Amino acid sequence: MRFNLRFVSGRIAAQVALLPAMLIALTVFCGATGWTVWISLTNSRMLPNTNFIGLRQYGSLFANERWIVSVQNLALFGALFIVISLALGFLLAVLIDQRVRAEDLLRSMFLYPFSMSFIVTGLAWRWILDPTLGISKLAHDLGFEAIQFDWLVRQDRVIFTLLAAGVWHAAGLVMAIMLAGLRGIDQEIWKATRIEGIPAWRTYLFVVLPMLKGSFATATILMATSVVRLYDLSVAMTNGGPGIASEVPAKFVMDNLFERQNIGLATAAATSMLVTVVAVVAPLLYWQSRSAERAAR
Amino acid sequence: MAGVRVSALSKSYGALSVLRDIDLEVAEGEFTVLLGPSGCGKSTLLNAIAGLDDINDGTIMIGGEDVTAREPSKRGIAMVFQSYALYPTMTVRGNLSFGLKVKGRPRAEIEKRVAWAAELLQITPQLDRKPGQMSGGQRQRVAIGRALVQDARLFLFDEPLSNLDAKLRTEMRVEIKKLHKELGLTIVYVTHDQIEAMTLATRIAVMQGGRIEQYAAPDELYERPETLFVAGFVGAPAMNFLPGIWRAGAVEVDGIRIPAGALDLRAPVADGTSVVLGVRPEHIGLAEDGAPGEAIATTMQFMEPMGADTLGWFAMGGHRLSVRLAPQRARAVAGATTLALDLRLASLFDATTERRL
Amino acid sequence: MRGQSGAFSPVRLGIYGFLLISAAFFLLPLYVMVVTSLKSMPEIREGNLLALPGAPSAAAWIKAWSTACTGLTCNGIQVGFWNSVTILVPSVAVSISVGAVTGYALSLWRPRGAALLFGILMSVAFVPYQVFLFPLVRMFSYVGLNSTLLGIIVIHTIFGLPTMTLIFRNYFASVPIELFKAARVDGAGFWRIFGSIMLPMAVPIIVVAMILQTTGIWNDFIFGLVFAGRENFPMTVQLNNIVNSTQGEREYNVDMAATMLTALVPLAVYFISGRWFVRGIAAGAVKG
Ligand SMILES: Nc1ncnc2c1ncn2[C@@H]1O[C@H](COP(=O)(O)OP(=O)(O)OP(=O)(O)O)[C@@H](O)[C@H]1O
Ligand SMILES: [Mg+2]
Repeated sequence: MRFNLRFVSGRIAAQVALLPAMLIALTVFCGATGWTVWISLTNSRMLPNTNFIGLRQYGSLFANERWIVSVQNLALFGALFIVISLALGFLLAVLIDQRVRAEDLLRSMFLYPFSMSFIVTGLAWRWILDPTLGISKLAHDLGFEAIQFDWLVRQDRVIFTLLAAGVWHAAGLVMAIMLAGLRGIDQEIWKATRIEGIPAWRTYLFVVLPMLKGSFATATILMATSVVRLYDLSVAMTNGGPGIASEVPAKFVMDNLFERQNIGLATAAATSMLVTVVAVVAPLLYWQSRSAERAAR
Repeated sequence: MAGVRVSALSKSYGALSVLRDIDLEVAEGEFTVLLGPSGCGKSTLLNAIAGLDDINDGTIMIGGEDVTAREPSKRGIAMVFQSYALYPTMTVRGNLSFGLKVKGRPRAEIEKRVAWAAELLQITPQLDRKPGQMSGGQRQRVAIGRALVQDARLFLFDEPLSNLDAKLRTEMRVEIKKLHKELGLTIVYVTHDQIEAMTLATRIAVMQGGRIEQYAAPDELYERPETLFVAGFVGAPAMNFLPGIWRAGAVEVDGIRIPAGALDLRAPVADGTSVVLGVRPEHIGLAEDGAPGEAIATTMQFMEPMGADTLGWFAMGGHRLSVRLAPQRARAVAGATTLALDLRLASLFDATTERRL
Repeated sequence: MRGQSGAFSPVRLGIYGFLLISAAFFLLPLYVMVVTSLKSMPEIREGNLLALPGAPSAAAWIKAWSTACTGLTCNGIQVGFWNSVTILVPSVAVSISVGAVTGYALSLWRPRGAALLFGILMSVAFVPYQVFLFPLVRMFSYVGLNSTLLGIIVIHTIFGLPTMTLIFRNYFASVPIELFKAARVDGAGFWRIFGSIMLPMAVPIIVVAMILQTTGIWNDFIFGLVFAGRENFPMTVQLNNIVNSTQGEREYNVDMAATMLTALVPLAVYFISGRWFVRGIAAGAVKG
């Protein structure tokens, strides 16, 4: 005999209450992903069809200059964005942690950009970097005639303008995460290092930094996710231009889905993004859960 | 009020077997304590009786009814938890009346019962406070009050006093004992504090590794422990164990012969059996003071004053014996000492089965 | 404690110097937006980016709010504002409700399929939305939800589900299990325990969820663009259209006023909620 209370009324209610989430998870999250992958294996253009053509869409995708530029942009932007934001955010957190005055005010000033949308961020920076009336004009008016700050319209520089806006948006978030991590460190460690006479900068570098592994993982995962989703910022700041110099993969998918009517190619691009995310995030998540486990012991 | 009968109860978490083939009977009006070290399955057994956890096998009867497949609220039980588990957003009154409200009792009856329980536990002045604004002892009373208003057949307590300081714990212990007497409650009570167990229980079930080692009245448990584990677990300072061989009516410990004619044995023991002789510290005395029992030669090692008594530690061969001594007497003891072991109250265990002989 | 407090050493000057320069960098765009929006177009053309407005005027704000054009319609960004409000209120309410119930069921009742569901939800938090968009558009047009208010509410509920479930699951998992057991002994069922005991306890986490969802949904661009339909375009989409569709001369002051107007709601949420905002991000960020 095996007595099981699983079917008492409360558990049935729980099962029912979970139905909406189950439905969403299975139809939208799993179903839609499967469908997208399937379409990418057909020669669908405006409407989905079932003509299986294997990986041919991927062949044309990776022969597509626009896609290649998008991927290169994303790689460059992503690497610099994550590294600079982490470095700046960590530095700001450490400095704020030095018992500075007006700590709350400083924190609010660093973090407020994160509350704004990428559209707002993009439009603000687009105006500041405007080649005729923006910073460029300011420099000229101040007598620096030689400075030509026109990166927004230069094909080889435009990605760095996105980068500036991105770092402005996210560095405060990193700061907040790192500061929470710093405040969570046992005060006794500080006492111990002071008694041993270890200089503060060494303590930060060799003792504190390794202890903040979890915070770094969290911040990195958050930013990596937003890098892959990067779309609004490019739309608002440059709309992919000049030419195709600031295209990004998410925008490539959107354009091919809704403007160029090439859903086979678009879903192939989306699937490629998915594969990349899985390849990048899975090990990071594994690392984070491992270090959380070790911390719990 | 009604008794409990648990038969052949088993429970495991995956491959980990937490309760193995448990049988337990609690008579009406009885105060049964489940005693055992941390992780032995006490809470799990209590939760199984309450219906809060699935079980793998066995039956649970409360008041003669099979409740094995019933929901907790349909078993006629009330429960007091270690963390009190008071609903933090409700007032004390809300906490006491929630269960009755859920069961749809009429308003007047709810008010009457809440007033009665509050009066009994002296928490009437705090009825409109939130648990967060109360002291540990007051919260404990509310938790007990919440159980009392239920008018349950059976009361389950899971280490209710372990979060209180020593003084409050003693006070609440007396109070719980009083409630049991005056209201004639049937109680199953979990603790790992043996003083609590000895003072409260009509019967104690000592648990170990998911089994009940012995289920008996406190005196019986203390005087005639059924297994080596029970003998070692119950009693502080702990019982002395002397491992040896049984030979011709005596226990040979490291070549020293201790004649054991005074032992109260159940059956004759075969020569050559490996045994463990268990003697409580209060059953050993100083031979020169005329203490009764078998004389053995030892050397005094050190003394631990405990207030009312002093615990003396003596070396005997490779073993160490603890002896309860009067403090004034203990100060005069030093060097080679002859002790007297009163074996009339000692226990003998089979070293392999670890059971009482 | 780190650092020597009190005395102003060169190191501390350096610290303050760096912090102030950083603060300037972070404040610059906000400052530029505000001053630009208060200037007239000739002043913008002649003066410089950082100069304070000579004669501050709210004209650009009024124009941005009520008469700025997107294409041929000139009703200002207020249309988008009200659309966003209409989308926001039910979306926040529904997504939090579904997330709270799901998190509660997952954490305390361990129903069948819980691990699978939780795994799927956590993975989705990282997947680019583009993977789901086309099938969703097809599904929605099949059931007639495309370009409807209900459709965009459903979308926000769907994509809010992973984070909402996570924060509520984590919260309810931290509630002492004995509380739940006590309620079950008291005879309360699934919904009674939720309504009478768990929800009243969860007020702080509900506030956190509201902060997260309000800023998230207000700032959304892509879902509004794809699913809301022309009639319901949220403020972000409308803003982008206004800024990009100005015919003839670009009016930077109006653009910046419209941008500021769009940023006001999340900024207000941010400054009112203070430390809660950080708590919200942290709660949503600690995955797995
Ligand atoms: N949900 C669970 N999953 C897996 N193992 C569990 C679970 N709950 C309890 N156990 C295990 O079951 C065993 C018995 O646990 P139980 O809580 O009954 O111990 P206990 O005797 O009440 O201990 P304590 O005095 O510490 O409260 C322990 O080894 C514990 O690790
Ligand atoms: Mg326990």
